Amino acid sequence: MEVHDIPTPKAMLVAENLCKRYEDDLLALDQVSFTVEVGSVFAVLGANGAGKTTTINLFLNLIEPTSGEARINGIVCHKDPLEAKKHVSFVSENVMLYPNFTAIQNLDFFARLGGKSEYKRDDYRNVLRRVGLADDAHNKRLKGFSKGMRQKCGIAIAILKDAPALLLDEPTSGLDPKAGHDFSKLVRALRDEGKAILMSTHDIFRAKEIADTIAIMDNGRIVMMEKASSLQGQDLEDIYMKHIAGHKTAAA
Amino acid sequence: MLQAVIAKEVRDILSSAKFLSAFSVCAFLIVVAFYAGASNYLSSVERYEAARAENLRRFEGVTQWFNVQQNRIMMPPEPLAALVSGVSNDVGRLVDVEPRGELAAYGSRFNEEPVFAVFRFLDLEFIFLVVLSLFAILLCYDGVSGEKEGGTLRLALANQIPRSTFILGKLIGAGGTLTVALLGAMAIGVTLLPIMGVPMSGDDWARLLLIVVCGILYFGVFLTLSLLVSSITHRSANSFLILLVIWIVVVSILPRASVLLAGRAVDVPSVDQTSYEKAAFASSLWADFRDELAGYQGTKTDDIEAMMHAFNAYMDSLSQARDQKMSDYAGRINENRYNRQVVQQQVAFGLARLSPAASLSLATASLAGTSLAMKDRFRDDANRYQKAFASFLKEKTGMDMGGRVIVMLSDDAQPEEEIDASEIPVFQPSRRELAGSIGAAAIDIGLLAMFNLLFFAASFVAFGRYDAR
Amino acid sequence: MFGSLIKKELQSIIFSPKFPATFAVCSILLLLSVYIGVNEYRQMNKQHQTALQLAEERMQQQTSWTALRDRTYRPTDPLQIFVSGLNYDIGRWSAIDPEQGVQLRNSPYSDDPIFAVFRFIDFVFVVQVVFSLFAILFTYDAVNGERESGTLRLVFANSVSRVQYVVAKVAGMWLGLIIPLLVPVLLSILLVLLFGVQFSEADWIRLLALMGLSLVYVTFFIVLGVLLSSVTRRSSSSFLVALVVWIGFVLIIPRAGVMTAGQIVDVPGLAEIESRRDAFAKDKWAAYMEDMETFYAASRGSDNAPAEPRSDDEMWADMMRQDSLRRTVQIEIDRFEEQLKEDWRNRKLVLQRLGFSLSRFSPASALQLGAMNLAGSDIELKARFEEAMREYRRQFLDFIEKRQAESGDVGGVMIEMNSETGLKITASRNNSGLELTGKPTFSAPVIRTGEVVTKASVDFAILLFGSLLALAAAFVAVLRYDVR
Repeated sequence: MEVHDIPTPKAMLVAENLCKRYEDDLLALDQVSFTVEVGSVFAVLGANGAGKTTTINLFLNLIEPTSGEARINGIVCHKDPLEAKKHVSFVSENVMLYPNFTAIQNLDFFARLGGKSEYKRDDYRNVLRRVGLADDAHNKRLKGFSKGMRQKCGIAIAILKDAPALLLDEPTSGLDPKAGHDFSKLVRALRDEGKAILMSTHDIFRAKEIADTIAIMDNGRIVMMEKASSLQGQDLEDIYMKHIAGHKTAAA
Repeated sequence: MLQAVIAKEVRDILSSAKFLSAFSVCAFLIVVAFYAGASNYLSSVERYEAARAENLRRFEGVTQWFNVQQNRIMMPPEPLAALVSGVSNDVGRLVDVEPRGELAAYGSRFNEEPVFAVFRFLDLEFIFLVVLSLFAILLCYDGVSGEKEGGTLRLALANQIPRSTFILGKLIGAGGTLTVALLGAMAIGVTLLPIMGVPMSGDDWARLLLIVVCGILYFGVFLTLSLLVSSITHRSANSFLILLVIWIVVVSILPRASVLLAGRAVDVPSVDQTSYEKAAFASSLWADFRDELAGYQGTKTDDIEAMMHAFNAYMDSLSQARDQKMSDYAGRINENRYNRQVVQQQVAFGLARLSPAASLSLATASLAGTSLAMKDRFRDDANRYQKAFASFLKEKTGMDMGGRVIVMLSDDAQPEEEIDASEIPVFQPSRRELAGSIGAAAIDIGLLAMFNLLFFAASFVAFGRYDAR
Repeated sequence: MFGSLIKKELQSIIFSPKFPATFAVCSILLLLSVYIGVNEYRQMNKQHQTALQLAEERMQQQTSWTALRDRTYRPTDPLQIFVSGLNYDIGRWSAIDPEQGVQLRNSPYSDDPIFAVFRFIDFVFVVQVVFSLFAILFTYDAVNGERESGTLRLVFANSVSRVQYVVAKVAGMWLGLIIPLLVPVLLSILLVLLFGVQFSEADWIRLLALMGLSLVYVTFFIVLGVLLSSVTRRSSSSFLVALVVWIGFVLIIPRAGVMTAGQIVDVPGLAEIESRRDAFAKDKWAAYMEDMETFYAASRGSDNAPAEPRSDDEMWADMMRQDSLRRTVQIEIDRFEEQLKEDWRNRKLVLQRLGFSLSRFSPASALQLGAMNLAGSDIELKARFEEAMREYRRQFLDFIEKRQAESGDVGGVMIEMNSETGLKITASRNNSGLELTGKPTFSAPVIRTGEVVTKASVDFAILLFGSLLALAAAFVAVLRYDVR
């Protein structure tokens, strides 16, 4: 519900009628449109294969849209990918990184890739502390890290790039409750710093906890998109099941 | 950003257990190959010297130069031949030189010491061929596909790094590190040579350097190939399997099969055929000679010596005519065979050169002087020596020696003095021109360089289209 | 339970994505190697036939018994299709000549060195290099791979004993690898038969023994892979180790073994031996010449003046005497040479024994040596043939001597000088071809099947023992393996 005389917050991540059809005629995305504004968290819920990762891949220009556009900070991703990627950070589902490098060495490499070459060791240490990685792990090789530890490194990398947009692909899958809780805290802090965050997940609980806007994706389409505030007091799981189930009955 | 990728690549390789173990094995084998080559050379020299001494000994007690009818010459051992054996153990190394007649080399090392023919030698070229290529494959088969499986590729490409920079950084980082490491190992091996007392001329050093360059180029072919295969597969396991199959085919199968199939397709008159033809002609010449000899009517005189001289002069002219006819005929037959062999070589090696392993073998053999040209070179050197030997004997005896019936009287009054065997001309093999060897190896070196460029360009293109998700 | 374990192993191999590719490669390479082998065999046969023919023609053209020479050629053996062995490194023929000993000269490689540049590809090569590599490729993660994927824990969550597990694993993998590999093997034998190659019964026995040897060889690498995968935690480690071990066994140790022996045992080169023989020969011929001179001096008279012209018969008698003296000297030289060569052979035998013992630490060596023994292209090839050729030479020389005596032909040229007749040259009486019926023929040494199989059994035993050792070690390792 747009109110025209209040200045609209800046749209950082924009999907406009995104369609993706694969060679084998599979329609992975069907007219997907949404906007993620500065200083907000947009959570996309959906089953495996619903199209969440495809959407993220389109923003990262790992694939190109059949029609429609994905824009980061006004730059069209598939037209000027290198420029677009300057404005986005990414944390993948299973953060693996380079197993023979230490946490700090991994951070250093990805920071440079992200265009930041002026960081010092202490900067890396500080960020790692901020994300909650124990001090004695900073100089350890990633080979022995647990999933939670690796995930913290992933977030640290994103923080270091300091880009206005952030893409999170299933960030909390496989995390224990404590790690998940730490993660939520971090994301909220980043949002408060003004980052536009797109998060795909099937953790309904986490989505309700962090997101400002929640969308449900099913079979490549957005079947529901609501502000989190307007979903207060409702059972999100119920809504989710209804939309997925409803879609199925509609299809059947 | 390129710098960051290169640095990452270098660090990644140096810190992996895979590199440490694979490189130690590789380096160990390289050093062993140099050591084995040096030892082999030194014992060959010992045997050569012993044979030379024994050869001189058989002239002991000889009092007449007339009785020196033959000298045995041997191909001297060369340091580089111990590092790149080529065909040096397959061709005859000895020639029994008579002042006249066609020469034939015999006594190849493998024929005389078949124990070494069973498994052959562990020379530097073999180590290059097998170990360097496997080393490249092992370290780079998961260059791109491994990063995809590990998730770091997606992470890296989520930044503003162009794909071209990424793959270039990988090549320079990986290629540079591994090349430097290998050169280090080779440097250790190379220093073993003077330490063990192997004499190397400046020319030899230059050739060795070029051989090392060939090895590095060959290594590069497999490095870029591995990078290419890993940028078209999505699972490292598949990449490795493909590379292994390619390795087997390229290194072991293709060179052999192409020579055996293409080589046999070209018709070359067999040695049996040519030697039969020559022998038949020689027999007919001898029959004529004998008839002419039987019809000789010398002047009767009291002077036995004069009769003898007249007769010898007559025989000489007959023999010269006979020799000329024989060498003309043999020359024609040999030339025909040689021409066919050249065609055979072109066809066989042309096909074999589809494999960079063949190019490595051919290039290093040309540089080390153990290529097929070795046989022709020895034959030409032997022919040259034959002329020198013949004119030496003519000087000493006043007659054209070799294959003759000689009539002579022994003079009991004359004191018998031993000949000085050290006067006999010593066999000196001709010097190979460095420029010539480089020229012979040029096409193969060029092919190796071309393969490098081709595979890298292809991996460049492939990575540009690589699905990084 | 046991049956399903074995079945699972078998299926995991056959349904693995690696399988079709490796099966295809193995088949193609094996068939290619055999095709090439058949080509070479037929080529060599043709060459052999031509050579014999030419030698025959050459002999027909001879007119003098003293000038008669022959050549003996090594015939082919159908098993060389599968094992080229030393066939191309050893000389193909020897001259049969009163003036020199038997020596196999001119190997196919020395005649046509183009084929020596890259050498041969035969059945044994494909098994030795390709089959073993692929065996390792399938088994290097037999145990630790299951651990990594979590299925190991799942299996042992049932009542499966460790022993059952290991036996089933090895048996299943063995069946899954060997049975498919039998297909190209049988096809290649079929190919050979289709090309019309004849195998005698003895040949079939030897061929079967060769297949058995190859089977045990591949088995060794299968068991080795399982062993390596049960002593390492990670499949990436066992893979590396397996590769290094493969390189060591197949490529390095065979060569290094013989080369090391070469450094330890000193054997003189051919040049030295030949020169020693020449030195001896020179002394003998010098003595012969002295004898001739004194003889002629006596017949010439006392003061260098030409003596009475001798009658024809006297001159022929002189030539006969010359001839028999020459033959005596030749026999002495021959005997010396044989002794020399015998000593040389013994030295080489020491080198050989040491070299092969060292290299037999590698299964690839055992396979190669065993295969060469079975195919008759082993290191004794040269000695065997030279011995048989020596026997033929004895018969041949006897034959010539007899015929020469019968015909009274002394060949060559006789030169006589005196003041009355001047210089007179008499050539051989006989100008027509020689009567060659009754000439002995060369028969190649017979390969006694029992003997070669016994010789090859040493290598068979080495491979079997190695496999059993590796199996036992794998047993122990799995029993103690940490399954988590």
